[in-house]
Amino acid sequence: MPTLEAADKAAGRVAYMGDLLVPNMAHAKIVRSPLPHARIRSIDAQAARALPGVVCVLTRDEVRADPDMEEIYGFVYRDAPLVAMDKTRHQGDIVAVVVAEDAATAEAGAELVDVDYEELPAVMNVRDALADGAPRVHEEFFPIAPELRPQPGTNICHQATIGCGDVERGFAEADFVYEDEFSAPPVQHCALDLHAVISQVEDGQITVWTNCQSPFPLGRELERIFKMPARVIVPYVGGGFGSKSRDRLECVVTAAAKLARRPVRCVLSQEETFMTFIRPAYANRIQTGVKRDGTITARRNTFYVDVGGYAISGARSANNTLKVATGPYRIPNAEVNCRAVYTNKPPSSPYRGLPTTQHTMAYEAQLDRIARDLGIDRLEIRRKNLARDGDTHITGDYLRSAHAQECMEQATVAIGWDDPLPASLDGKTLRGRGVSCTIKYTLTPASRMSENGAEIALGTDGVFEVRIGTVNIGQGSDTVMAQIAGDALGVGLDALRIVHSDTARTPVDSSTTASRSTYHMGRAVVDAADALKPRIIEAAAQLLERDADSLVLARDGVAPADESEDEGGVTYAELARRVGSPLAAQGECIVGGTYDAPDGKTYPIASTFWTFASCAAEVEIDAETGQIRIVKAAASATTGAAINPRSIETQLEGGVGQELGPTLFEQMTWDDGGQLLNAALLDYPLPTMETMPHYEPRYVDHPFEGGPFGAKGMGEVGAVVVPGAVLNAVYDATGVLFREMPLLPHKILEALDAREGEPRSAYP
Amino acid sequence: MRPFEYIRPATVGEASRILTERGEGAFVIGGGSAAVVMLRLGVVRPECVVDLGGVAALRGLEANGALRIGALTSIRALELDGSVRARWGLLAEAASQVANVRVRNAATVGGAVAYGEPQTDTPTALAALNATVRIAGGDPERERAVPIGEFHLGPYETVLAPGEIVAGVDVPAQPPHTGGAHLKFTIGSPENKPAANASALVTLDPASGKCVAARVVMGAAGPTPVAAQAAEGLLGDFPTPERIAEVAAAAAEEADPMEDLRGPVWHKRRLLKVLTERALLCATQRAQA
Repeated sequence: MPTLEAADKAAGRVAYMGDLLVPNMAHAKIVRSPLPHARIRSIDAQAARALPGVVCVLTRDEVRADPDMEEIYGFVYRDAPLVAMDKTRHQGDIVAVVVAEDAATAEAGAELVDVDYEELPAVMNVRDALADGAPRVHEEFFPIAPELRPQPGTNICHQATIGCGDVERGFAEADFVYEDEFSAPPVQHCALDLHAVISQVEDGQITVWTNCQSPFPLGRELERIFKMPARVIVPYVGGGFGSKSRDRLECVVTAAAKLARRPVRCVLSQEETFMTFIRPAYANRIQTGVKRDGTITARRNTFYVDVGGYAISGARSANNTLKVATGPYRIPNAEVNCRAVYTNKPPSSPYRGLPTTQHTMAYEAQLDRIARDLGIDRLEIRRKNLARDGDTHITGDYLRSAHAQECMEQATVAIGWDDPLPASLDGKTLRGRGVSCTIKYTLTPASRMSENGAEIALGTDGVFEVRIGTVNIGQGSDTVMAQIAGDALGVGLDALRIVHSDTARTPVDSSTTASRSTYHMGRAVVDAADALKPRIIEAAAQLLERDADSLVLARDGVAPADESEDEGGVTYAELARRVGSPLAAQGECIVGGTYDAPDGKTYPIASTFWTFASCAAEVEIDAETGQIRIVKAAASATTGAAINPRSIETQLEGGVGQELGPTLFEQMTWDDGGQLLNAALLDYPLPTMETMPHYEPRYVDHPFEGGPFGAKGMGEVGAVVVPGAVLNAVYDATGVLFREMPLLPHKILEALDAREGEPRSAYP
Repeated sequence: MRPFEYIRPATVGEASRILTERGEGAFVIGGGSAAVVMLRLGVVRPECVVDLGGVAALRGLEANGALRIGALTSIRALELDGSVRARWGLLAEAASQVANVRVRNAATVGGAVAYGEPQTDTPTALAALNATVRIAGGDPERERAVPIGEFHLGPYETVLAPGEIVAGVDVPAQPPHTGGAHLKFTIGSPENKPAANASALVTLDPASGKCVAARVVMGAAGPTPVAAQAAEGLLGDFPTPERIAEVAAAAAEEADPMEDLRGPVWHKRRLLKVLTERALLCATQRAQA
């Protein structure tokens, strides 16, 4: 079904952050560092303060002067100051905030803030940051999440290893060992809805309206920093893709609002988003041991994630990639190292599946190289090694619903894998097909606990209000939750209303990230419905003076269980009116802890569920220009039972369409001085409808035990499998294995020239 | 965006007077597709924006022998106009490749020419068609006309004097048995600005099948559109694929592309060769049809 709000969105009747206004609101403009790394000698904001219309200017002096304002925030890694205190750590780092009566005056005021910078040597990539004697981005480390392990004296803000079996023995058993290095540059999420915040500090209470993905952790962080209660309200959000999963704006705008003693609104420009959160630069050295028949015996792997100037989001995403480090394969002996490294780039955040996407590209491209080298069919080598139900994952988890192979078969059949490719008569068109498989985890607590609640309340209008913390970010969460609540209660969608993401009105939710909502919030909604149903029956029984056992919930009201009885029921509206007091119940979703498997053993749970996925793609390459066209693509994922098939299909297709950008042509580019060259859509190419291939929607919907009506999450995984499939299709077409994204035309041509012994120096 | 005064003159004379009076502080806007982006990004910070949209004299698209294009004619109108498609197909084809339909509806021919951006399609095609730019201003009685090949001096630099505006573009009639083609190469979506483009125009002698006129103009190939001398190599000869390949290779050598985010120089030169070759082949086929 189409999402509930689809018609309203299409008609422009839905309010996004940009539409919200608060009485007496002032406007903020952020003063940003032009340099990637600099010490702040002084800040002179006098001229800005003197500008008519300027309300106030927040600098480090105002922050230091306020005893009820913590300087440093970050609820995963606490290393970001509200405004730069001693130095700036990336181009675009926040130095001051000018608040004015209108946005234009704030902008004019921001230009009048005179900051005296002492430029410091910058480290613009991981290699430089890890060099001996490299300049330090941070002098101290403040990890909050317990799994994060900084390396004192270095720029490594987190380092960890995961392993299984005996790697040395695994390599000793191998007939061949392959080693490759893969990398991918940073890209930006480019969500349509730009980061925006309105903050109000009034009567000892903070109210923040924001388009963030994690309202509840944000609210707790605001309460810690400002030592007063905070309410966070998230309206409809026009996409985030991970760029809004952690705070970079809310705390500083709240500090400005406190200083201004007025509500303050701050909306970033598209250009500013490129300096707010980005997908990290990623590099991977991967070593795989295989037997002659293609069986993988060992994997040794170190990957590097460039978290940028602050680890508030990037360090934990890097660590979480370890949970899927060996991919969807049975690898008995493995050791994978993760290094998250500070540089002077903008801070990194997840991007539609952490760095799982880049990581999948690496192991999938290498697997095709191995298959070709050993003369084994590419699907066959995967069939041989793909995990199955009952396998133990590298995290120690017992794998369930591991229909990885079914995804692969579906995706490849969908694009006509075995059909002959059209011949190129003039040899100027190269064609090929590729496939890639992945496994994706979801955010899961370290111990058994609930991170999700839901509440359902019957109103006097006879409508069940379903209160959920999940942010409606375009993924269709309201619709799926309404479907789940409707089925659990046995009522139609017209008897339901969704209230979403308001920390004062909805129970707690850890975040709308990591494809977690359908499963976790879905279960909380079912739990709430199960708790509410007996209360409603009980209330109706008292009202009707009947035995509770003789009543059931029907579409419009409580009805006699015996269908032959025509009378003796009560509508929901009438019941609610006559009961007078609220008929409401809360539910939760308890996850984590351990899993008692059918084999009688107990296993840890690193991920509540695992999503498997596969993408197959067919490419066409213009051998004279190097241009790649994706002709056909299909992605398939294990969704559990499909709650809303149409949303599943469009989520997967959206993931494929978006990830074609970073795969083929998107990249953020810096000059030698550390200046970002393409922080504007004029110079930053994005995928459009014109770059979309013919797409075949597929999914594997075996019910998942424990999921709400058998469902599990799948929001990000369509993107994760794209680069591997495309790299492998290009490998198939050209015989050249590319080890770096994006596959720009000149790189393709360069490789084709080298292959044909045709020197490109013909055109110096 | 910084606040500015907004002025919408009704006549060329009024527009010219304001531009002369305000000098550097004034910024001309036509369709706004480029100008608004420049304003928003703060590339320009004018005191006043002079919107030519209300100047009726700059409108109109007439095809009486020659093609007379008013400066405010949208790129979309060029793409869709029946006469342009039938008689100056190269121009309609180039127009159809500009950005997306929303931009083409807003962007004007006068703006595309006056902006002087090297990474654009319409001026490349206009140069191949030997168009003339009509310039108005100063003395309202006198217009001057400048061949488009002399109009652009460098990137974003034209011969326009203070107070002058582009009034329109005139395109001469094409001889019979002429075929044209425009090809564009982009990084990413076809909506993006060209990494390279090429317009080719070929006129054949119907009796002999030999080439009697040929023009190649390459865009994003230097500071201004590059008209390749190499095209003359086709004159008096049969435009065979082999001959065309040689001419295209020589044409690409005349280009002076820049390394930028769209790719290195060697790749752009290679693209210019391929685009020129394909455009010439296509133009020849169309001339034969």
